[in-house]
Amino acid sequence: MAFAEPRVVRRGADDYELDIPADHREILRGLPGQLREVLDSGHSATRRLFPDAYPDDPKMSAEFDDMVREELIAERKQSLEVMEQTIDAKRVDGEQLSAWLGSINDLRLFLGTNLDITEESYERPLDEYGHSSQAMAVYMYLGWLQEMVVRALAADLPRTGEGDD
Amino acid sequence: MAMPEAPTEIEQPTGSEVPDPALPWLVRVWNDPINLMSYVAFVFQKLFGFSAEKANRLMLQVHNEGRSIVSSGPREKAEFDTARLHAHGLWATMQWDG
Repeated sequence: MAFAEPRVVRRGADDYELDIPADHREILRGLPGQLREVLDSGHSATRRLFPDAYPDDPKMSAEFDDMVREELIAERKQSLEVMEQTIDAKRVDGEQLSAWLGSINDLRLFLGTNLDITEESYERPLDEYGHSSQAMAVYMYLGWLQEMVVRALAADLPRTGEGDD
Repeated sequence: MAMPEAPTEIEQPTGSEVPDPALPWLVRVWNDPINLMSYVAFVFQKLFGFSAEKANRLMLQVHNEGRSIVSSGPREKAEFDTARLHAHGLWATMQWDG
């Protein structure tokens, strides 16, 4: 049986088709809930979601973190919830697709941190990852899906903007 | 996003120079092995209104040189931009341009 490819297609203003095979949706289904659970836990692999804003100043970084962390967590949880609610949807609007984009990215940051992803990771064959190979496959799949989501959403960015200065 | 009120006086760090309020804070985005190049360029366009060309140029600078300055301004603006970048999963830091 051929491996079915997912597609994300812009169908019109604020209207996107999520043509994702059922077995892919089964893989995606549990992921938002898993990330939601670890967001509050301070799990070390979420550190990449809350970087130091002042790399040379731990005190100011801590103040910045105090200022933004709760809102960042709330925003992320909201996006994850939207992705969960639309996990079986064939059509979504721009806001929902943006939630997918943010959630997929957060999932990749979390999974990727757990997997110790480096630039070289992309060259290694999956079977070199041993018991992490399934997590690596999910990580790679999410990257592939994310490319499609970016491409679909990019069509609705303004054509002209602040150019070279 | 709720932002703190700007202090009327700049807090004086002990034992070092008082930051000149006329000099801007710089916001840098750093390379990382996880974020997709297409996603980074998309975020630059979305957050800062850059053209696709400028967003790509800055993204390639991040990718090839390890980091790029994406915005500058007073501290509050820099903090706002940094927080927005963090919300999109980018690794952004602030530095006073002194």
